[in-house]
Amino acid sequence: MPSQIIDLLTQRWDFFQGLLVEHVEICLVAILIAIVFGGVAGILISEYRKAARPTLGVVNFLYTIPSISMLGFLIPFSGIGDATAVIALTIYALLPMVRATYTGMTNVDPAIMEAAKGMGGTRMQTLVRVQLPLAMPVIMSGIRNMVTMTIALGGIASYIGPGGLGVAIYRGITTNNTAMTIVGSLLIALLALVVDAILGFVERRMQMRGQRARRTNRRLAIGAAVVCVAAALGATVPGMLASPSDTIHVATKPMTEQYVMGEALKTLIEHDTNLKVKLTEGVAGGTSNIEAGMESGQFDLYPEYTGTGWAAVLKNKGTYSEDQFDTLQADYKKRLDMSWVGMYGFGNTFGIAVRSDVAQKYNLKTYSDLAKVASQLNLGAEPDFFEREDGYDALCKAYGMSFGKTTEMDAGLKYDALDQGSVDAIIVYTTDGKLSTADAKVLEDDKGFFPSYQCGNVVRNQTLREHPELRTELKKLQGTISQRDMARMNYEVEEKGKDPKAVAREFLKSKGLI
Amino acid sequence: MGTTTTDTAIEYRDVCKSYGEKSVLSHLSLKVKRGEFVTMIGSSGSGKTTALKMVNRLLEPTSGTVLVDGRDVRETDPIQLRRNIGYAIQGSVLFPHMTVEDNISYVPNLLNKRDHDRTRKAVHKWMGIVGLPDDLLDRYPSELSGGQQQRVGIARALAASPDILLMDEPFGAVDEITRGQLQAEISRIHRETGITVMFVTHDIGEALRLGTRVLVLDGGTVQQYGTPEEILADPATEFVSQLVSRQRHTCDLPEDQLCACEHSGAARARAALDAR
Ligand SMILES: Nc1ncnc2c1ncn2[C@@H]1O[C@H](COP(=O)(O)OP(=O)(O)OP(=O)(O)O)[C@@H](O)[C@H]1O
Ligand SMILES: [Mg+2]
Repeated sequence: MPSQIIDLLTQRWDFFQGLLVEHVEICLVAILIAIVFGGVAGILISEYRKAARPTLGVVNFLYTIPSISMLGFLIPFSGIGDATAVIALTIYALLPMVRATYTGMTNVDPAIMEAAKGMGGTRMQTLVRVQLPLAMPVIMSGIRNMVTMTIALGGIASYIGPGGLGVAIYRGITTNNTAMTIVGSLLIALLALVVDAILGFVERRMQMRGQRARRTNRRLAIGAAVVCVAAALGATVPGMLASPSDTIHVATKPMTEQYVMGEALKTLIEHDTNLKVKLTEGVAGGTSNIEAGMESGQFDLYPEYTGTGWAAVLKNKGTYSEDQFDTLQADYKKRLDMSWVGMYGFGNTFGIAVRSDVAQKYNLKTYSDLAKVASQLNLGAEPDFFEREDGYDALCKAYGMSFGKTTEMDAGLKYDALDQGSVDAIIVYTTDGKLSTADAKVLEDDKGFFPSYQCGNVVRNQTLREHPELRTELKKLQGTISQRDMARMNYEVEEKGKDPKAVAREFLKSKGLI
Repeated sequence: MGTTTTDTAIEYRDVCKSYGEKSVLSHLSLKVKRGEFVTMIGSSGSGKTTALKMVNRLLEPTSGTVLVDGRDVRETDPIQLRRNIGYAIQGSVLFPHMTVEDNISYVPNLLNKRDHDRTRKAVHKWMGIVGLPDDLLDRYPSELSGGQQQRVGIARALAASPDILLMDEPFGAVDEITRGQLQAEISRIHRETGITVMFVTHDIGEALRLGTRVLVLDGGTVQQYGTPEEILADPATEFVSQLVSRQRHTCDLPEDQLCACEHSGAARARAALDAR
């Protein structure tokens, strides 16, 4: 494992460096906002004590909201992306900041405060010259805690779109790349430690006395301020200069194949046109959150599955099958002003895979064949499949089958269990990477029990009108990926640890698209 | 503020102060003439600090009026009022995060932000007057002795050349010798600047020595307000006579005549030795 980590770090340093910079940017913005607002709030409630209890109560309450639900609450208001991440991080950073400021301010010796007041300082002068400097050690230690916490928490930002090292962690998890997850976590920890050390240095310098120390401090402070401003400008100005209308915002769900398709889309579009593609990869919550971003115009296109569009987006009842595609397309246009363009040619749906020897023994081809012998077989699936309404029970009912035994197991273990013979059949996703090498046969759903989930790109019509060339590009992808291709590409990423980007390029090259 | 015509610097008119039911100052009426050095004495909790803080509006009377330079303090801007009144707080609290120089120039800096030269000169002058060497300027309060801290407190109160100086037990925690030096210095400052001083103390000797007038408070009421001589010669109440009884019995015979008076401690000691 250590060697894998080092390899990953050295080979993909650019990738991690980019994430590191994004992480710092997102956290820095949240930290600065929290320092200003939390500081001001802390000062205000130390001034108007009556407001202290309710204010601290509110920030305390906000602090206790689990981060995942916090993001869930925020997404409807601020959408997917940086804004939501910064808001969430800021909200969590507020409590330590407000509390430290309040504690620092109220613990200043009242005799000193009275001396300052009695000498004729205005409230403001007393605040700036006496109270704040004396509260500073407490505030500073509050800031240190808050910064470390924010950097660590910054990892969750990636769940809702923006970058940062959480992207590496999340991608590692969804694409079965443990080294990637570890590197992301290590870098976050390292960043937190380094920043804490810097703040510790600042704290020590601030406590230093004497003329020379103060002069050096002033120089250091000016230097740090210049660096910060330059970094902030460097981060924001190029973004503002680049004309935003020529950028296509592509979102993907947190699934290995979607990482690959996202990279393929980016590579293809940027290769053939002057358009820039901004990828927001692995958006947590998948369809519901991406769809909200599509409707608000935050995203222009994303790869989606027809069955999901039918049930989760259009909220239609009944099982979707591909003969309803025209209705799906028409409803998307009418209700959402979006289109399905470039159907890849593969579906990612539930399937039943049986071990080859079992298939041979009973000569299994379809689910109906399976139904006849199911009572002698052991079916393995994730717990969820046994829970969901359209899962195990419905399947058994539709085909009049009943398995001799069922075993609940983790997604990662299904294929091993099948291989070792502890189960005879498993519920799979038809593009599972492991399926491409498994010694198993995927049976045919001859009664169409499982909805069809063909993959294609959902695009905003407005984007298509603004950039007609985009349609041409997406059309080029039509029918280019078979179920087998996709499973193989997933395998390369998940099991061989290849970069989704490299896999996407190889795919495009093999199809002569680039 | 120095342009007013009254020669009364501070006046209390029937001032009462109570916290809830508890009265801590009742019907205080007195005038402090310009240039006067008033020492306030009384037992702990008698209302000395309370009376003092009403002058610079750190406390408001429950009833009655306090006038400074003939003007009701309630009608003045408290900030302006305080800038013309030096204030040495009980325990002479210095700002711990500021050097001696910054402490002393605190008030001048509030007033004239830009004129650093003038401020520096004023600091230098007051350092000299309170008897502190210039090499202490860069020190922090925690690096000073108690006596030095109190001197800095005095310099800070005086640095903006106020017309009135309020001092709340400024020589609390110092030894007899330092206290004597500080007393001599504050007396000299008072003589040389003509500043009006209100000075709280627990030490009747100090009160009588420094004050041009002495105010004796007990339980929130005035026991006597008069010159040290009046206090010594005619104690108005039982409380005052107890307070000054030692001073009334002290006799200031020169060294070589100490044994001539049979009541002197020296003569009694000599007599006891001779009797052996
Ligand atoms: N904020 C307050 N609330 C209630 N009582 C108070 C308050 N401040 C002062 N007192 C009371 O008022 C009385 C007078 O207090 P003050 O500080 O004027 O006494 P003092 O003469 O300066 O005493 P000391 O010599 O100990 O400094 C005391 O009994 C004190 O307990
Ligand atoms: Mg007092």
